[in-house]
Amino acid sequence: MGIRVVIADDHPMTRAGLVATLEREADFEIVGTASDGIEAWRIIREKTPDVALVDIRMPGEDGVSLVRRVKDSGLPVSSLMLTSYDAKQYVMASLRAGAKGYILKTASPEDLAGAIRTVAKGGIYLDAEISRVVGGQEIVPEALSNREREVLILTSKGLSSKETAGHLFISERTVQTHLASVYDKLGARNKTEAMLLALKYGVMTLEELIE
Amino acid sequence: MKRRLLAVLTFAILLPSVSVLLTAGVGIFQHQRAIQTVARTYVQDLAESTASRVEMGWGLTESLFSAKPPSQFGGNRFFAGGVGIPGWIAVLDSQGRVVMSTPGAQILAKLWQPQMPIGQAIETKNEEDEAFTVAVYPAGTTGLFVIAAVSWKELLGPMLRFGLLWPILVGLVGLAGLVGVYALWKAVISPLKSLEEEVSSLEWGKDLPNPRDEAAVAEIGKLREEFFHLAQTAIDRATLWKRYALDLVRVQEDERSSLARELHDGPLQDVTAMIQRARLAAIADTEEAGRTRHLDLLEEAAQSAVREIRSLCDELSPPWLELGLAGSLTELAERLSRQLGIKILVEADSGVAEDLSKERIIALFRVAQEALHNSARHGGAQEVSVRLFREEASLVLELEDFGSGFDVPADLARLRVLGHRGLANMEERMALVGGILEVESTPGQGTRIRARVPAE
Repeated sequence: MGIRVVIADDHPMTRAGLVATLEREADFEIVGTASDGIEAWRIIREKTPDVALVDIRMPGEDGVSLVRRVKDSGLPVSSLMLTSYDAKQYVMASLRAGAKGYILKTASPEDLAGAIRTVAKGGIYLDAEISRVVGGQEIVPEALSNREREVLILTSKGLSSKETAGHLFISERTVQTHLASVYDKLGARNKTEAMLLALKYGVMTLEELIE
Repeated sequence: MKRRLLAVLTFAILLPSVSVLLTAGVGIFQHQRAIQTVARTYVQDLAESTASRVEMGWGLTESLFSAKPPSQFGGNRFFAGGVGIPGWIAVLDSQGRVVMSTPGAQILAKLWQPQMPIGQAIETKNEEDEAFTVAVYPAGTTGLFVIAAVSWKELLGPMLRFGLLWPILVGLVGLAGLVGVYALWKAVISPLKSLEEEVSSLEWGKDLPNPRDEAAVAEIGKLREEFFHLAQTAIDRATLWKRYALDLVRVQEDERSSLARELHDGPLQDVTAMIQRARLAAIADTEEAGRTRHLDLLEEAAQSAVREIRSLCDELSPPWLELGLAGSLTELAERLSRQLGIKILVEADSGVAEDLSKERIIALFRVAQEALHNSARHGGAQEVSVRLFREEASLVLELEDFGSGFDVPADLARLRVLGHRGLANMEERMALVGGILEVESTPGQGTRIRARVPAE
């Protein structure tokens, strides 16, 4: 049985290109296309696809809100964010909203197909271009302590050091010490990279991030 | 009332003055007439009674009268005593020679005129222009005449003098009042009027009023000086704003031309290359290897165009601003951290800027962007801390570096004119969204900038 895909993008050319690209793959079935967030939501509810390929910027309802709506509805639909922007905060926002992956529009057809297959199976996909910025070559990160993981998860949810400290009943300084250690172990330079790398290496799961 | 002040003042001073003058004049006229009547009756009675005594006492001794000196007559004692009020009596013969007289009555001989009416008092004047009331009476059949006179000068002098002084004083008071009104007009009302005219016709920020008015009182002079200073300040402000506007236009034009240059040198070249490669691929359909190469190069040019346009977009107005202030600041910090090679720590309390309007997000974002660049470029900072938090009713964006610091100028707006736009821009952006910018810096110790907007 093929992977059923809905495509939501407000640019007709891009939409047509995506359809043409995905139709070449034998295991994909395009069950619907939408040109704005509202139409996309209607089709997703109607067809319950395996994967919703969602543009981050759309009229009506933007991609991040749509993804959050899909997640909140509990439908068994994996959202894959598709965008022109390489800003990592989009990735953060998408993942926090419940997207399973993030891919740039400039990605190759092979990468796009791979991404769809990955999220359809319940995995996480982060665009190679962003991953490249993030990680460099693959490494096996040193294991994080439980406290470090807790600090990383809370920080990734968007809490400040002070708030994280309050949550865990530790000092702000301790939070920062833990974070510095996390960065070091994952090879990250900042919070965003730490979160993306933790997801990439499976140190942290998407469920932990959005629960 | 305001406009007729002068008329009212003049009227208020003139009305009592004139009425006092008029009533005093009428009084004096009446008084003079009464005195005249009294004087006439008096001299008439005096002349008549003296004439009857002359007639009875020594009317038949005419020969003796003429033979003896007047002092030896029986009436001598009467004449020697004089009269009670300033006046004189004399007995004249028909030729006008003095037969008998009271002391000092020589004056009567001079007043005597043959055509004087008999038995009726008249007013007359002597050569010195002094007024007298004179009456002539015949002493029966003796052929003698009695002449009696009173001097106005001596009788009424003091009364007349004081009576006349009164209206003069009142007149002087009125005059002084008018002089006062004139002075008030000259030194207060007229300068105020001219000041008012200047103020109302002044083109603010362009004209200067007269700095001084010599005729005006000190207070109005001071007012005028203050006004002059205000107008001067307005002109300075206008000049500043004009240069300001020119500067804004210049910056805008600079940005446009730099954008055009970037578009021309970047994406335009890429797209041109894409067209070339597409054409080459189209004509190379028989030669498989060359075609693939053209298509690879076409994609490469397209990827390059996308990267360049993306970075242009980020530079112009980052699309990720829609992710909210905290996300935008994090993204900015990570990018600048790489670009400038400094450490930037962002701490944003969760949900702190969630309901912030788009305008405020952009304004705060630009402030952070400018401040981070300044810290690295001018302050040589290695580490900058960015904090976003609530403080009472404000949302505060705080940027603190440990760079070289600087002396904070009192007026950031003036910096723009001097070509240092950064701080001035930050302050303006905050002001535009109802916020304020606080800059604290000490040379050698770093800088702390706080951008504060009312929490929504």
